[in-house]
Amino acid sequence: MLWSKYRRGSHGAAAVAALLLVLLASAPSAEEKQLSIYGPRVSYSLPVSEHEGQDYVSLLEALEPFGNVSARAEGTKWKLHFNKLEAEFRQDTSVGKVAGHKFGLPGRFVLENGRGLVPLRALPAVLGLMLATRTEYHEAGRRLFLGGAATHFTTDLRANGLRLNFSAPVNPMISTEPGKLKMSFTRDAVVGNASLLRLENPLVSSITFAESNGEAELVVLGRVPLLAQFATDRRTIEIVPAPSEAPSAPPAAVAGTTPPAETAPAAETVLAAVAVPPPPTLQSLTAKPAFVVMLDAGHGGDDRGALLSETLEEKLVTLSFARRLRSELQGHGIGVVMSRDADVTVAVEQRAAMADAARVAVYLSLHAASQGRGVRVYTALVNSASSKPGGFLPWDTAQARYVLSSRALAELVKAELLKHEIPSSQLSAPVKPLNNVAGAALAIEVAPSGDDVSSVNAGVYQQRVAAAIAEAVVVGRARVEAER
Amino acid sequence: MTRALTLGTALLLAAVVGMGAYLYSLRRNEQARAQNLPDTRPISAPVTGAASRVTLYLAYDDPGVVRPEEVSIALPADPAARGREILRALVGEYVKRPSGHELPAGADVKDVFLVEESTAVVDTTAALAEGHRSGVFVETLTVASLVKTLTANLPGITRVKILVDGKERETLAGHADLECFYDVVTMEPLLEQLR
Repeated sequence: MLWSKYRRGSHGAAAVAALLLVLLASAPSAEEKQLSIYGPRVSYSLPVSEHEGQDYVSLLEALEPFGNVSARAEGTKWKLHFNKLEAEFRQDTSVGKVAGHKFGLPGRFVLENGRGLVPLRALPAVLGLMLATRTEYHEAGRRLFLGGAATHFTTDLRANGLRLNFSAPVNPMISTEPGKLKMSFTRDAVVGNASLLRLENPLVSSITFAESNGEAELVVLGRVPLLAQFATDRRTIEIVPAPSEAPSAPPAAVAGTTPPAETAPAAETVLAAVAVPPPPTLQSLTAKPAFVVMLDAGHGGDDRGALLSETLEEKLVTLSFARRLRSELQGHGIGVVMSRDADVTVAVEQRAAMADAARVAVYLSLHAASQGRGVRVYTALVNSASSKPGGFLPWDTAQARYVLSSRALAELVKAELLKHEIPSSQLSAPVKPLNNVAGAALAIEVAPSGDDVSSVNAGVYQQRVAAAIAEAVVVGRARVEAER
Repeated sequence: MTRALTLGTALLLAAVVGMGAYLYSLRRNEQARAQNLPDTRPISAPVTGAASRVTLYLAYDDPGVVRPEEVSIALPADPAARGREILRALVGEYVKRPSGHELPAGADVKDVFLVEESTAVVDTTAALAEGHRSGVFVETLTVASLVKTLTANLPGITRVKILVDGKERETLAGHADLECFYDVVTMEPLLEQLR
């Protein structure tokens, strides 16, 4: 519990209302539709919204990972610039222009809070024109493949189990229940024939491949409890019988987590079941908290933040980066809430209040700067010794109890960024509102990758940074959980 | 004739109204310009006294460090006034061009108050915050430099609070917290990282 000066004010009710909105709007849920896009260099997912019975996606968000993209709404007209190409649509009309070609949409163009939404069925053709690449859309599974991106697999039935060989490294979420092992591929362009393969084998009885809601799924039914083992190149997965003493479904194991050395084979990483965190709900706030990350896109609305260049505002850079990071984290099966998912004003204290009320495990405050290069990772300027025992945390120093966990996570983020060849440094800093967050809390300031300030908003660069941070969160999850 | 007279009168009236509007806008622009000009009036009376050696902790954006540098300045005997003059000398380095950590014209320290023996309250001009570059790192450098310079030169001061034009402000320029008291012990790890 927090003894917060915040709750003394009338902002308390507003914060709770905002939290509810954030949870409802941003938390992944079973019904939330998504589209996954697989390119030769980048894979990501986008939220799909429904208008008049049709699925729609944001065109700007779909193009963001591929280069400099910006959009502007003027009245009912919406214009998008991508590299040197343009697309233009008018609200509620179904004809526009894409890369100099007249383009008919299978539904009307929707302008929502300045975001241009196109019918999902039109997206393959639009991306094909804008990116000058061939596209293949699996409509039933909402999966879009660009430039021939595809990971194929073969099965090899053996006496001691089943071996799956993939044409590229894969990183599925794995979950098990008695007699069933399920692999979900959200970020991997795994393709196969949607079919059920029945097997005459004492261990494995069938394999099913299916696509739905932006992911591919391989389900292996076994006659005994099964376990998945990855080869170190992550191209091969062995499905073997689970040791009888092993727990059948540890609740919070994470893909990629290395087990204790005494149980790990030399060249393989054993994966136990992975439990995808349940979506945050009101009920979950009173139960044991799930592992949820809050992404706080700095500034917004009236507060534009720094003016990074003549036309580039920090608030827009942080929002596009937050969306990428959300996609990366969700790709790792981590629940995400956003402090804002549009260009709206959110008070600084309200952001911390949202994080504390949602009992998030990790809070990431996202910022952008024109000075320096790479990424600077900050933890709160608070002394861990000032942490008071007891159930109440003072608002001003709520972070004190968690600052060691925050610093450990910051080290991991820095290390992952360096691994991705992104210059990185770690500092303590008096960044608002880190001190008020009761959980691992970092501020991340993304600076340009080179001399060109606009590179801070480049899709490829942001994607690399987001991927590194998401991997650090995955690696640091166990420690953060332990300290909660 | 009557028509020409009417037309001429209407044109004259339009000219009068137009001139009035133009004069009004000129007046408003001038008022706005005057308000935005940095206040260049002296903040305090010139200081007399023997020159003393003090250490300024100067921030440099590139390579992102805060380094001690000794300077010689005239200091009054009163500790609070000494603190003010030391910080004014520090901010003066940042207002110069070129500077390793530029602050806007008009940035200055209006006063330093010593309270409860160990706490100092620094009151800066509005221009320091209003014209400060926005960014976690640049704002952190300013805060670290001010706090370290003051506490290093005023023995016994362990906590510093920064006000802007006599009032509490949420952040310096959108990022660095100005609502908190900066504690010397808590600041040390940051200064170590910036060394």
